[in-house]
Amino acid sequence: MENKVEKPSTEPIKLSKKEVNKAFWIYQLGCELSNSYERLQSLIFCASMIPAIKKLYAGDKEAQKEALKRHLVFFNTEGTIGSTVQGIALAMEEEKANGASISDSAITSIKTGLMGPLAGIGDSVIWSALMPIIISIFIPMANQGSAIAGIGPLLIYTLVTMYISYVLIKRSYSLGKSSITSLLQNGMIKQVIYGANVLGMMMMGALSASYVTVSTPLKLHVSGGSTIVLQSILNSMFKGLLPLVAVFAIYWYMQKKGPRYGVIIGSIILVSLVGAFFGIL
Amino acid sequence: MHAVGLSIAMGLYFWFANLRFGYTFSGMLKQPLCVALVVGLITGKMADAMTIGAGVQLMFLGVTSTPGGNVPNDPALAGTIAIPIAVTVGLSAQAAVALAVPFGVLGVFLDQLRRTINATWVHMADKDAENLNYRGIYRDAFLYPAIIGLIIRFPVVFAANYFGRGAVQDLINVIPDWLMHGFEVMGAILPALGFALTITVIGKKNLLPYFLIGFVAVMYFKADIMAIAVIGTCIAFLVRNNALKEEA
Repeated sequence: MENKVEKPSTEPIKLSKKEVNKAFWIYQLGCELSNSYERLQSLIFCASMIPAIKKLYAGDKEAQKEALKRHLVFFNTEGTIGSTVQGIALAMEEEKANGASISDSAITSIKTGLMGPLAGIGDSVIWSALMPIIISIFIPMANQGSAIAGIGPLLIYTLVTMYISYVLIKRSYSLGKSSITSLLQNGMIKQVIYGANVLGMMMMGALSASYVTVSTPLKLHVSGGSTIVLQSILNSMFKGLLPLVAVFAIYWYMQKKGPRYGVIIGSIILVSLVGAFFGIL
Repeated sequence: MHAVGLSIAMGLYFWFANLRFGYTFSGMLKQPLCVALVVGLITGKMADAMTIGAGVQLMFLGVTSTPGGNVPNDPALAGTIAIPIAVTVGLSAQAAVALAVPFGVLGVFLDQLRRTINATWVHMADKDAENLNYRGIYRDAFLYPAIIGLIIRFPVVFAANYFGRGAVQDLINVIPDWLMHGFEVMGAILPALGFALTITVIGKKNLLPYFLIGFVAVMYFKADIMAIAVIGTCIAFLVRNNALKEEA
């Protein structure tokens, strides 16, 4: 708020809780709804700023038009953590409306500068860790046929993520843009991501052990009439060897060649059918 | 009997979930576990639906959001087609997973289509901004994408459910045992893809030992998933400072 100088005579225009809340809800409800290849989330970001623009530039139609246009430029981030950008944009618009010399490009560059790092944090915490972890906890329940597994993840995930998002837009609006640079350098975010990744890894290991159930029915007939069951030999070596091989074979393929989904699924289908046909799997 | 009703419900569900109304809410609504709940409510076979839903869910565990939102596979399309068909025809969870595969991939094309069409509304918003038409911008952001979404999405899932059920039923009567077993093997391997994808998205090779800890805890010590979650949280808390060393 240190830039809030000039414009001596008039009272400074402040956004109230209402405009910030509206921005939050509009973006949360629709941030992927109108997503397009051309400008991704630009449309919804602009829409979310409307209540604030109306209030800040009341009576100045040209300023309103300009404000709308500057928020229709390319924008894309992860929606939960991304509400931080909204808070900052609101704070900057407020300063601008009160006479601070903030150019269009200053607002745009802050937005575009933040959207990448914040998307990185959001994707790795909200989508790659939190979501699979919450689902994982309910999978055993679903396996036993419980309907709670259908509603539980929906409620928990939605409430947790929206709470995070709400706190972020509030904080970033009240602290302004200076806070964010310090926030991004703060070690705590790194720790949260790291911790979420550790937990995610363990959950994936646990679930792989439970749900990748590939095994071999192969029996070797040895001279003398006795048979050797291959699976029991594998079990005595390392329990769950085949599931582990399956997971890591796919993992290493993706490391080498990238997530080529079609090739991987095709190979799985081929291996399964050939294996089943010859009685190997 | 309720084939039409179920098909309509699934078509609408697919539309609404992929509309992405509510960012994380719809993200979860797209997941097979949530689809299974609705299938269970409509068919009255809740236990079957949830078990099958769990199987299909595992394959899609890692398929959430990738940078830029280009999802490599669509759990919602796979779920709204494979789960109801599997429940009504009486397929095993593994066979349902095999059935889900092609639809998951098809879903990607539907999403590319809508994102291409959505560019139209941004251009309309440009004009609305020029004319200070605030209501217009809201309509561009919510109403038009919703309408076009209904047109793109509903028919696909409705038709697949309505006609697919009979086709799958006929197919099951004619396919040989080894092929049916092949589908089950597929269902036993495919979840590995979901897990491998999640590990890839996490993207830290040096964390792989934690994967093995979870794996062995369940394989050898029969640990509950909840126990793993608690232990994992504790370990995460203990090792959090490694995050700072890593960068340095």
